[in-house]
Amino acid sequence: MDEFQEILQDFLIESFELLEQLDQDLVELESTPEDLELLNRIFRVAHTVKGASSFLNFDVLTHLTHHMEDVLNKARHGELILDADIMDVVLESIDLMKSLLVTIRDTGVDQGIDVAECVVKLDKVSGGDGEVESPEVVEAAPEPVAEVAPEPEAEEEEIDYASLSDDDIEAEIARLLDGKQAEDKARREAKIAAGESVPGLPDQEPATPEPEAAPESKPEPTPEPTPAPAPVAAAPVAPTPPKKEEKAASNAAPAKRAATAVEQTIRVDVKRLDHLMNLIGELVLGKNRLIKINDDVEERYEGEEFLEELNQVVSIVSLVTTDLQIAVMKTRMLPIGKVFNKFPRMIRDLSRELNKKIELEISGEETELDKSIVEEIGDPLVHIIRNSCDHGVETPDIRTAGGKPETGIIGLKAYNEGNHIVIQITDDGKGLDADMLRSKSIEKGLITEKEADAMSDKEAFGLIFKPGFSTAAQVTNVSGRGVGMDVVKTNIEKLNGIIDIESEIGKGTTMKLKIPLTLAIIQALLVGVQEEYYAIPLASVLETVRISTDEIYSVENRSVMRLREEVLSLVHIGDIFEVERVFDGNEHTYVVVIGLAESKIGLIVDSLVGQEEIVIKSLGEYLKGIEGIAGATIRGDGGVTLIVDVAALMQMAKSVKSTVVQESASAALEATQKTQPSDYKVMVVDDSKTDRTIIRTSLAPLGITLVEAVDGQEALNVLKQGDHNFDAMLIDIEMPRMDGYSLATEIKKYNKYKNLPLIAVTSRSGKSDRMRGVEAGMVEYITKPYSPDYLLNVVKRNIKFAL
Amino acid sequence: MSEKLQQIINNQQGDPATEHLEDVVQLVGFIVGNEEYSIPILSIQEIIKPIECTRVPQTPPYVLGVFNLRGSVIPLIDLRLKFGLPAQKDSDDTRFIVMRHEDDVAGFVIDRLTEAIRLNQRDIGPAPETELQDESIIEGVGKQNDRILTILKVNKLLERDF
Repeated sequence: MDEFQEILQDFLIESFELLEQLDQDLVELESTPEDLELLNRIFRVAHTVKGASSFLNFDVLTHLTHHMEDVLNKARHGELILDADIMDVVLESIDLMKSLLVTIRDTGVDQGIDVAECVVKLDKVSGGDGEVESPEVVEAAPEPVAEVAPEPEAEEEEIDYASLSDDDIEAEIARLLDGKQAEDKARREAKIAAGESVPGLPDQEPATPEPEAAPESKPEPTPEPTPAPAPVAAAPVAPTPPKKEEKAASNAAPAKRAATAVEQTIRVDVKRLDHLMNLIGELVLGKNRLIKINDDVEERYEGEEFLEELNQVVSIVSLVTTDLQIAVMKTRMLPIGKVFNKFPRMIRDLSRELNKKIELEISGEETELDKSIVEEIGDPLVHIIRNSCDHGVETPDIRTAGGKPETGIIGLKAYNEGNHIVIQITDDGKGLDADMLRSKSIEKGLITEKEADAMSDKEAFGLIFKPGFSTAAQVTNVSGRGVGMDVVKTNIEKLNGIIDIESEIGKGTTMKLKIPLTLAIIQALLVGVQEEYYAIPLASVLETVRISTDEIYSVENRSVMRLREEVLSLVHIGDIFEVERVFDGNEHTYVVVIGLAESKIGLIVDSLVGQEEIVIKSLGEYLKGIEGIAGATIRGDGGVTLIVDVAALMQMAKSVKSTVVQESASAALEATQKTQPSDYKVMVVDDSKTDRTIIRTSLAPLGITLVEAVDGQEALNVLKQGDHNFDAMLIDIEMPRMDGYSLATEIKKYNKYKNLPLIAVTSRSGKSDRMRGVEAGMVEYITKPYSPDYLLNVVKRNIKFAL
Repeated sequence: MSEKLQQIINNQQGDPATEHLEDVVQLVGFIVGNEEYSIPILSIQEIIKPIECTRVPQTPPYVLGVFNLRGSVIPLIDLRLKFGLPAQKDSDDTRFIVMRHEDDVAGFVIDRLTEAIRLNQRDIGPAPETELQDESIIEGVGKQNDRILTILKVNKLLERDF
């Protein structure tokens, strides 16, 4: 059973791969019906699927493919010209074959799909020019062979030959096989002759007959022994022929495409690649951390010799990590042609259905994208292209009246742009009418008249993505329900992509989808808000601007700013994420302009930290689905930074009230009544124990409370914890980790410490030192050595000691 | 060490009916507020000293945020706040207990650890009846000598309730 499962798996994988190519080949074939190479390739697919499915006991599938094979075989021999009508039948049968394969994949059996009607059509087509009866009969031969072979293993019904005795069957088989072999021989000879006589393809000459001959002849000897001996033996012996055949078939395909390049590939479970990608993610985090540590070390041991060596190692590690990451990313890349392949067929069907003449021009199908994105991009493209066919391209008579060629052209193009891939869908149809879109939307109650008036044309184009919006007067088979474009928007947003529409009435529409190459490791812009940091996917960042706060206007309780020609609505990231305001508002602020799908918004942040490569980690089951947060990443310093979910953030921005302009009043210090000396608190920051003791002794007569810290960092932490309300701070300048100047600068950033007196106690007495102290916000400057009385008086004055 | 060994030997020699491995529950006890709680030792991934965490917006106050545990991002929940007690500053005894139930992992802030406890299954009573069994966060109440231990349901603790 396991063996059977394995074979079945292989069969399904190969079949689906073959089918992918098939669609394109068929549409191509319609325009060049004489292309023998193409025909052969298509025939081989049908043949391969037939062979394998009969072996695997899928009778319905065998039945169908067999009749398909008949038609194709005739076409191959020039006995049948594949015109559009015959093509419809063939395509229909291929669709059936696909759904059968899907059914097999899902349920393990090929029941539930009725192929009878299609088979009748196929028969009609192949029997249409009934002149050539003989190949028909002989061609029918493989059917019993194929079906008898597995028969003893499974149920015997459904097969006409079941009523025959064993001997009869064997005799019949022998007879048929002889006929078949003779036929094959004849065919092979004919093929070689045909191959030589095709003048257009001299290069293909040696290639064509060879793969042909191989699959045709190889399967023949094998079925022979199968029916006679024990049926059990059939299983292990028989799987070989279809496989060989497939190999030949798949070798033949690239042979045409890429001349001689022999591709060496192995199939790898996607799970393994995902695991590998996770490991690389860890490595990237490690690398980021290493770089950070290297910077710190560099700062502290400036000029030391070993630094150079460390630098080298760090840069090699980071280089190799980056290369490794790119390499693994590449293994997950698939050409977008995999998605594009299905469109020629779709366009063909649609144009027949809509009675329009439409041609599809594809370029850049070799452009590669991450597998997960390739899977997501298919649906949106289907909707966009259907839309272009239905609403974009006009009917031939309108087109001719408008002075355009009868045939409309839809262009599908993919190309790389930096870390993005751009998929561009163009049509030369009637274009989008911004005014019409506006009035339709008002009519449907999607927007108000006021909103419509304020809309630019580009924004009006964006209306087509609104759920429930449709310009079609009536719902057709193809579109008009107002669902499709909404799907496009959601899917593209999910991929952090951007949609850009350009359109001109009467000339056509161009839609650009800009999608990041990969999802797991991304470039992000790190921004600071108060004490917190957030990462914004760089893919969504259009630009950053520094503005002064008076450039922000308030319109209907919403903040907006003028950015070049546009009015951009603004939202403070702190309002969205309920960040506590501890720092003072600055005169200048930064606006990160983020765009997603077709809309944009300005996000006000306090600071821009920089660009960093981040690995997206999930927040886990417990914190799943927090609005506005897409995940988290681990930074170089080991801390966790949250990643902004741009799509959700844009939604949230709509309901957030603007608080940008108003200053927070929460900083008001509750003035506690001081009744005894120990209610006064002073922090002493000095790295020398002796100095701290001297200060302690000097201030002892006052009886005030002293809190000690050994460096700036610790002092800052004590302040942040907020356990004490200090009345003053005595700060040494020369300290490890964080010196006195930086400490003072940091402290002054906090609203509530604006008025906290900072007193420098230092042996640095230069004028410039004093100046720096004042700049950093120090109010007094005591130089060591000092007399205890002097220190005591300075402190007393600054804490307004009143007892 | 030798004491431990001796203990193990004693256990093995003891009455196999009562001291059978399946009948003994190993718990880790800890203090939150004034009460002692405990959880099965097997649901503890590790216990670490407090480290920095990052606030996550739109969560209830008892979700302190997320922290980095050797490359994994793990949520941090303050049991004091979760149990309706006032917040308290981290002390030297404060620990994060990282608990795991199936694939769910989270860190819990506790005031201090007490000890590892071996408890006989028959000394564990059901949760007080005032609590709805399914809703209850309490697995049962253990009696050891003269003290009472509340055993918590780890899967309930790890369940998101907002």
